Amino acid sequence: MESNACAEKDRVVVTVLDPKFKYEIAKEPGGENIKYCFQCGTCTSGCPVAELDSKYNPRRIIRMAILGMRERVLSGDFIWLCSTCYTCYERCPQDVRITEVMNALKNMAVRAGYIHPAFRAQAELIAGHGRLYEVDEFTNEKRAEVGLPALPSSAPEVAEIYGVTGLDSLLSGKGA
Amino acid sequence: MQASCAQPRMGVYVCHCGLNIAGVVDVEAVRDSARALEGVVVARDNKYTCSEVGQKTIADDIRDLGLDRVVIASCSPRLHEKTFRGVLEKCGMNPFLLEMANIREQCSWVHSGDSAAATEKAKALVRSAVARARLLSPLSRSEGRVVPKVMVVGGGVAGISAALYLGNMGIKTYLVEREPSIGGHMAMLDKTFPTLDCSLCILSPKMVEVAENENIQVLSYSEVEKVEGQVGDFRVQVRRRARYVDEAKCVGCGDCAAKCPVRVPDEFNRNMGERKAIYIPFPQAIPPAYAIDAEHCRYLTQGKCRVCEKVCERGAVVFDQTDRVETVEVGAIVVATGFRPYDASKKPQYGYGRYPNVITSLDFERIICADGPTHGKLKRPGDQATPGRIAFIQCVGSRDEHGHDGAGAYCSRVCCMITAKQAFMVKEKHPDSEVYVYYTDMRTAGKGFEEFYQRGRGEGIVFVRGKPGEVREEEGGSLRITSEDADSGCILDLSFDMVVLAVGLTPPEGLVDLAQRLNLSRSADGFLMEGHPKLRPFETSIDGIYLAGCVQFPKDIPDSVAQAGGAAAVAAATCSRQKIEMDPLGPVIDEDLCIGCRLCEMLCPYGAIKVEKTDRGYKARSIEVACKGCGVCGASCSARAITMKHYSNDQIVAQTRALLEVS
Repeated sequence: MESNACAEKDRVVVTVLDPKFKYEIAKEPGGENIKYCFQCGTCTSGCPVAELDSKYNPRRIIRMAILGMRERVLSGDFIWLCSTCYTCYERCPQDVRITEVMNALKNMAVRAGYIHPAFRAQAELIAGHGRLYEVDEFTNEKRAEVGLPALPSSAPEVAEIYGVTGLDSLLSGKGA
Repeated sequence: MQASCAQPRMGVYVCHCGLNIAGVVDVEAVRDSARALEGVVVARDNKYTCSEVGQKTIADDIRDLGLDRVVIASCSPRLHEKTFRGVLEKCGMNPFLLEMANIREQCSWVHSGDSAAATEKAKALVRSAVARARLLSPLSRSEGRVVPKVMVVGGGVAGISAALYLGNMGIKTYLVEREPSIGGHMAMLDKTFPTLDCSLCILSPKMVEVAENENIQVLSYSEVEKVEGQVGDFRVQVRRRARYVDEAKCVGCGDCAAKCPVRVPDEFNRNMGERKAIYIPFPQAIPPAYAIDAEHCRYLTQGKCRVCEKVCERGAVVFDQTDRVETVEVGAIVVATGFRPYDASKKPQYGYGRYPNVITSLDFERIICADGPTHGKLKRPGDQATPGRIAFIQCVGSRDEHGHDGAGAYCSRVCCMITAKQAFMVKEKHPDSEVYVYYTDMRTAGKGFEEFYQRGRGEGIVFVRGKPGEVREEEGGSLRITSEDADSGCILDLSFDMVVLAVGLTPPEGLVDLAQRLNLSRSADGFLMEGHPKLRPFETSIDGIYLAGCVQFPKDIPDSVAQAGGAAAVAAATCSRQKIEMDPLGPVIDEDLCIGCRLCEMLCPYGAIKVEKTDRGYKARSIEVACKGCGVCGASCSARAITMKHYSNDQIVAQTRALLEVS
């Protein structure tokens, strides 16, 4: 079900909500406690990301998830911004385990075909090189100088892992 | 010590009350100004006049300086008049030779912004008190008897509990209930929060206990009409409405109702469903006897039928019964007349009464109850369909300053938990249903309450912080609610199958009258005022009358039962006294001056003055036990024949003159 949200400047009017969304999150590993959130906001108040970007608000993300605003939550950038510092996780009085909830939401977003471009780029780098950066000749020369073995610049095994785990089809947008 | 000497010897004591008074009023200046007044032998200031040290200072002065009047400038006499009268008595003085000036509640607390003016006012109050004290005369208290019986008014869970506590203490107790059965609102509830106990399953054993307790007499279908007397010795007139059924003969078989041809909306089921004109409100009713609703009975309104009388094998139907007024003597009264749910139709924006699928929380209880109109099946009234999407709206008639539509500015305390319970019950019966609760604040203070609220969230009940502006009906009877969700900042515009309004608790029907009959004060919220908001929660401003349950303020079942226990304890304490000393505050009537005009008799709110024929014509006579010393007779007497003891005209005039003097 699509949350039929229409933005009129700052006024967001929601007419359809997906009541199943909260139960789905609660079934996802890490999302079990989301429904207990009572919106105290201690997560947002201590969040280092929120300090840098006030648009990032974990309390509001959880609120929108509980209300059933599936598309807005899964398609947005916000769930990807969590730095997984676990500050909110430690402080949450209802043990909502927000960091884990964010992971659960990321997994659900990926399955729904939403992958943040930064993560897609990372996944592609790893697929191509086996690591987050390309090992070039200069690096291997330097390594040889100090007696270290050369590193491969590509990693075909990773692609195999992507295939086995299904990550390749997720990246190609075919869904899980 | 001679109270009658020409020039009285007065002592004035000005209290600091810590900083309560001294923080605003220049206490030393007040003391010095008192010292200069005629007849004042000694004036002192004390940190706490009510303390042991303060009391001893007064006692020493009475003894050493031969004081015969004592003036204390401190708090309200309601707090310490008794203490200081005790000091005088211990020193062998007549306790009525004490005068108090209230320089705290009526001065320092209300003029905290202006010390200089407050000090001048305190001086004037003291001057005025001294002027009156000069003219005080010694009085003696009279003694009243104590009837060791109690009347409990109201047969809900609070009244039932109070009656049981009293009955089990061995005190004869009358339990007066307006309806044909005791049980009150609790009998109408399906389950109770947070334990989800079946309400009647826990209440009906108590009701049976009431019926079986040999010390308790239930006066059902009855109302308190008039109360006379005072603590220890009340005479209560109870109107016993004609039930047209002999309680002693009726076994509750129901043959009468089965044959009764008249169908009436069933108020116990909130008018959803019907009952007969001869009826029992619910199967567990106590007394377990039918009653005839005279307003609807065909025989009583049209003169023919009497079918019930014919079918009753025990001859329990008695059509020649009439209302009768019984006078019951008791030593104490516990008022437990409960509450009335807010009339949601007064909030037209929510459509109650116009849209069939908008109901109140009490309606919901009947719908979800196995014994209710739908036999416990969750069905909406409009079309008997099972609602899959239900919204609850909180604070309907609570936390609302409108007032003119009967709403209360206060939080009704129980509605959040009632809704949490009801929403939970919906989820329990129909796990796939969608339940939204629109709230202002969720208030779940109580043992096990927060845990229950959390459990509700876990079940997937969506709590939306935001009060809807209105409910609109759509085609097919569904209801649209637009509200802000303060937590996400979004406007939610959603459709529901049924809307439940969590109505607040308001003062019960007829409380204004009852309060007048008992001379009890009500607080700004309309409920009865307790003796002290912290320290006298069971008492009232009238000795011998106590409070239990929602008539004092909205509260849940455990709190009502707890207050009932407290009220029972204080009522029992009153009844255990041998005699009661009464302050001599009534009128003294000079029959030489009385012209028998009857003005005082007409004005007396307590029926404490009767004009009688004597051999010198009609003369007013005071009925001391009924008099509360209000002074209306004294103020109104055109012949100046009435002098109030302790508040004589010359005392009041002197007091007023002194107050108006420019210092």
